[in-house]
Amino acid sequence: MARTLSGMRVLIVEDEALIADGVRQALLGAGFAADVVGNADAARAALAAEYFDMAVVDIGLPREDGLQLVRSLRLRRDALPVLILTARDAVNWRVTALDLGADDYLTKPFHVSELVARCRALVRRANHVGSSIIEFGDLRLETVERNAFAREQPLELTLREWSILECLVLNAGRLVGKDRLMSAVSDWSDELTPNAIEVYVSRLRAKLGDAAHIRTVRGLGYRIDAHAG
Amino acid sequence: MRTPADTPSIRRRLLALLLIPTAAIAAAATYSAYRTSLARIEGAYDAELLDTALAVASNIEAREGSGPLLALTPDAVTLLRSDVRDTIYYRVSGSDGHYIAGDEALGVPHQGVANPEFSEAAYRGEPIRVVSYRASAAGGGAIVTVAETLHKRHAARRHVLRSSLAVDAAQLATALAVIWFGVRFAIAPLREVERQLAARQPHELALLGTENVPLEIRSLIDALNRLFRSLEEARLAERSFLDNAAHQLRTPLAGMIAHLELLANGNSGHANTRALAALAGARRLARTTQQLLALARSDAASRAGAEFSAVSLPAVIEACVESRLSAADEAGLDLGAQMEGSVVHGARWMLEEALGNLVDNAIAATPPGGSVTLRCSAGDGHSWLEVCDTGVGIPAAEREQVFERFYRASNARAAGSGLGLAIVREVSRVHGATLELTESADGTGTRARMTFPAA
Repeated sequence: MARTLSGMRVLIVEDEALIADGVRQALLGAGFAADVVGNADAARAALAAEYFDMAVVDIGLPREDGLQLVRSLRLRRDALPVLILTARDAVNWRVTALDLGADDYLTKPFHVSELVARCRALVRRANHVGSSIIEFGDLRLETVERNAFAREQPLELTLREWSILECLVLNAGRLVGKDRLMSAVSDWSDELTPNAIEVYVSRLRAKLGDAAHIRTVRGLGYRIDAHAG
Repeated sequence: MRTPADTPSIRRRLLALLLIPTAAIAAAATYSAYRTSLARIEGAYDAELLDTALAVASNIEAREGSGPLLALTPDAVTLLRSDVRDTIYYRVSGSDGHYIAGDEALGVPHQGVANPEFSEAAYRGEPIRVVSYRASAAGGGAIVTVAETLHKRHAARRHVLRSSLAVDAAQLATALAVIWFGVRFAIAPLREVERQLAARQPHELALLGTENVPLEIRSLIDALNRLFRSLEEARLAERSFLDNAAHQLRTPLAGMIAHLELLANGNSGHANTRALAALAGARRLARTTQQLLALARSDAASRAGAEFSAVSLPAVIEACVESRLSAADEAGLDLGAQMEGSVVHGARWMLEEALGNLVDNAIAATPPGGSVTLRCSAGDGHSWLEVCDTGVGIPAAEREQVFERFYRASNARAAGSGLGLAIVREVSRVHGATLELTESADGTGTRARMTFPAA
């Protein structure tokens, strides 16, 4: 049984009270539970004592930095989803963070709404592993049966439409390139063109109505947002 | 090595200091050898001349009453006078100088104390070598004078001179070659250091190896290495300062923005308006901070040698569009891309920063309903990256000034720091790219294009 996103618990590892409190308030506002610790040792203690769905970790922690914390978690085969916050924006820092096992990163200063969206997506993806149900806004996808529901009403989707919707939802809030969608549906057809993707997306839009909004990013791809905007 | 001729050169100094004295010594030695040979040859010819004089003297016979008489047959005289190259003259005089026999016009040289006496003179318009011998023959003695022209002496002198010069030239050439190669070999370690330095990347600060370095330049190498070490330390210090500054500035800003966003979302009325205003201000502060840090970091990176690698322009565009989608939505603009595969040699964070600034400018300059398009392509040995908008454009007269730090176009629609294009220009410079601002193809808005050399 999949956990729903409400009731999700996030551990915030951040020594700067102003940010920690801001992030905590934002997550609480989005219906999550959130706890704050100020350093890596306290984070490990909290993770050992209680269950968390994910962690938001600042790189610039006192004594042991956030990257070392992530590495120590991964060395213990702890798959806890981790979003890294960093005030350093050099690309090699991002690469290092992702290489060490972080699942996503955000550069300070960030939009709180984006932070919340990234947290949601991380937990959704993590829960998707080993679960057959993805929830996204008003949508519910049953991945084994390939059924989709909008506000509990079943949607009649073709296999290709379903694959595109699944790919978009699993990357909700992020830009998904056309080529990525093409590879998501290319299992059964190699002759798919970018134009075909456009056709499927426009059909999918019609079927979704205002349950979710698939935004076209001209020349690049698509992004799904929970509510039409 | 291309250096102007007046640049001091150790090799030239060494060559001059060694070659000039060597050449002088060789010349002196040759001269002295030449003089010695010459004296020996003159001595030999003089001895021959004296032999002739003695032969003449031995044929002087004493006569009773009328003084000495030369008793030589014509054949003997011919034999006496025979010589391959020179003409031989003789005269026999009485002890008082009166003519007895031979060439009367030869005269009697002044008699000194020496016997025989050699001297130089001229006879029949030619220089001659003369020997006079006082023979104490029976009958009161006589003076025998024999002279010869100088042809064979001159020939011998020329021969000696020629062979001396040849030997001298050979010696000098050998010395020159030895010195040339010796100097080359001796300064080889200097050349090795020079080669090491020349082979470096412009910003490479690794220490020079000190093994096999000669004593004489050891302290020079040590000084260079100290300089390299302090440059490297300064570079690291600058980098960590910028990292720290970024952290110290961004972290409180991030907290502030997060709280303002929460405030703006959770309130209504005046409080909400104020929170939104404060949020806009905080975001602008964050943006300016980001831009200043980016300028400082690209300054530092261009001086210290950024870690360049192959960067895919479509990937840069994708990252940039994704991060600006919300801003474009808020501004009511269609943000899109048109990409063809292209790769440049560069620093990805700098390219993202530059493109981000161009997109931010385009978004700020374009009224709602317009579009902003990012393009990249490659061809003709170049790759290019451009941002086109349908905005207000930059007045043609201001297109140079907009690149200056803190300059803001007179028709700017939104508040900005005026740092964006300065960053774009800096990034272009570091990447060897050209940057041009023109009108969009359809005559509305601005097109900013960075053209890169092929990766």
